[in-house]
Amino acid sequence: MDYLQTLVNGIVLGTLYACLAVGFSLVWGVLNVINMLHGSLIIFGGYLTYFAWHSYGIHPLLALPAVSLLMFAIGYLTQLTMINRVVNQPVLTTLTLTFGLDLILYNFMTVYYTATPRRVTLDLGVVDLGGVVIPFDRLLGMALALILTGILYLMMKRSKIGRAIVAVRMDSAAAALMGIKVNSIYAITFGIGSLMAGATGAIFAMVYPVTTNLSGAYLGKAFVVCVVGGLGSVQGALVGGIVLGIIESFAGQFFGPQHALTVGFLLMLVLLVVRPTGLTGVKGYE
Amino acid sequence: MISISSKLSGALLLAAGVAIGALPSPDALAQARDIKIGAPLALTGPLADEAKKQEVVWKMWLEKVNAAGGINVGGTKSKVQLVQYDYQSDGQRAAQLAEKLITDDKVDFLLSPFGSGHTKIVATIATRYETPVIACAASSESVFDQSSKFLYGTLSPNVGLFTPMIKHFREKLPSLKKVAVLGRDDVFPKATAQGISAAAKAAGLDVYYDQLYAVGTMDHSASLSAIKRGNPDWVYVTGYTQDLILARKQMQDLGVKAPIITMLAGPAYKEYIDGLGNLANGITSSSWWHQATSYKGVGVWPTTESFYSEFVAKEKSDPDYVHASCAAATVLLQDAIERAGSIDKKKVSEALAKTDISTFYGPIKFSPNGMNQPRDLPIIQVQDKAVKVLAPSDIKNGDMALIK
Repeated sequence: MDYLQTLVNGIVLGTLYACLAVGFSLVWGVLNVINMLHGSLIIFGGYLTYFAWHSYGIHPLLALPAVSLLMFAIGYLTQLTMINRVVNQPVLTTLTLTFGLDLILYNFMTVYYTATPRRVTLDLGVVDLGGVVIPFDRLLGMALALILTGILYLMMKRSKIGRAIVAVRMDSAAAALMGIKVNSIYAITFGIGSLMAGATGAIFAMVYPVTTNLSGAYLGKAFVVCVVGGLGSVQGALVGGIVLGIIESFAGQFFGPQHALTVGFLLMLVLLVVRPTGLTGVKGYE
Repeated sequence: MISISSKLSGALLLAAGVAIGALPSPDALAQARDIKIGAPLALTGPLADEAKKQEVVWKMWLEKVNAAGGINVGGTKSKVQLVQYDYQSDGQRAAQLAEKLITDDKVDFLLSPFGSGHTKIVATIATRYETPVIACAASSESVFDQSSKFLYGTLSPNVGLFTPMIKHFREKLPSLKKVAVLGRDDVFPKATAQGISAAAKAAGLDVYYDQLYAVGTMDHSASLSAIKRGNPDWVYVTGYTQDLILARKQMQDLGVKAPIITMLAGPAYKEYIDGLGNLANGITSSSWWHQATSYKGVGVWPTTESFYSEFVAKEKSDPDYVHASCAAATVLLQDAIERAGSIDKKKVSEALAKTDISTFYGPIKFSPNGMNQPRDLPIIQVQDKAVKVLAPSDIKNGDMALIK
């Protein structure tokens, strides 16, 4: 039963990891932009959700669509007005730009909201499945994570915009010749990445304290998930997240909590050497 | 020729002597200028909240001191300037700014940043330049192990957190035996986790779980499941507020129960109680100060009540031990300058070493290593979302309630 509980803990944690990494993976895979802003965008989504709940009594699940759309608009405009200007430059240039934008957003939030940890104190209870306990808010987060990544997967496969994003990812010059407005697709992609960050923030506000102190931890985790799962694909983020969650969970049990994260990073290093495309082996959104 | 030259020299010497006699002494010159106190503060980054607590009380003190004409230095009042920089919670930057404050801004004294780690960094620089530095938020003895004659800390050692707590809990729960300790792998939380573990073992308790978790841990399920299996009487968790909120919530989710749950320093902070709501009830902790105390002493706040009421009027919230300790650091510095009658760094440092004063924060008298002397620290518990002091008996305002 102990191992089953550890496994379930790992899967639930892993889907939350997938949720925070999928938007980051999309932007990196399609735009070749390492979005250093991603962790802060999640926190910003968390703050919007927290204050909607705290000030107006709006349930985080009701706030989630509005927060996500707002974050889409912010991401879309950020890409259109700033990142598009340097999107074809070497990756270090875009990384530096998003790093600078992250400093601005991070410090804005720290000054405006303060770094005081806040939490949506709903405490929804637990689900007990024959002795295996799952906190309901994490289960909800897991379900939402699966739904959101599922929608994103279908959108990339079936919708016109999704196919356009894939086309731009494969060959932006050819896509432009086919009449695709590349800059617009870039902006939409970054917008979707931000939307996913906002949705993650709304979900995480029910599970974790909302504080800028966690911005770096979220970004670091997104990196590891992308490398483990395979960069630039929805299924890669999902597989990477779940594998990392399970490994950290068992590592915490067998080697102690002090070494759980180390084992996750070791896995990343091993994969970088033996399988650089990650566990799914998928490259991009083909 | 020789005699003319001798007479001329004599006259010149006499003139110089008269001139020197007419001039104020170097000390008097120094006293005429403003006193500059440097403060590297983590106003942005992960430690921003704590740094703002320091900034708030230092500015409160500055306003009061300057409104009264300044600090009395050997009979002359000198105004005080606070020169502060944001080191962005980056230790390396804290060191650079401490050096800049001393060498470029020419500050006379330093107030150290929040936390044992960054205090040690700044203290190393201050010691190199023989500049007195007062630490108000560092309680790990490892910070004070370099025999610096310029570093003084208002918090008493961590050891005061452990033994009285174990004694008190044993009185309230005579069957207390099995203890689980989970600490963040970081300077202060690690030191306290190791401290309570050692003290509990020395007291004959069974510390069956004793682990550290890495900085950046987003899930405590594995640790808490292991703790649950041991049926603890007492769970002791250390970390920063976001860690403790997460750990407490996961304890509830996973059904980890114990009659005593202690989190350091969670309940000492209002944000911890706000972030947990009812889940905060029953959690015990230690604190270096609480407003329920009633000390009297020197400085701009003659009583605990005067500091508390002024703070509440200004900030619309209760102060915690960081506020109080950092405010006491400024009271201490003022007192040392006045006792030294000078702003000479060495003289003030000597005066600091001889400190034996009472303040609104409590007594301040330094051990040879520069730390405030050990004393029994308040043991607190959250009851109905409010903090009650359980011990020492002279300041207690509530009885301990075991968690059911």
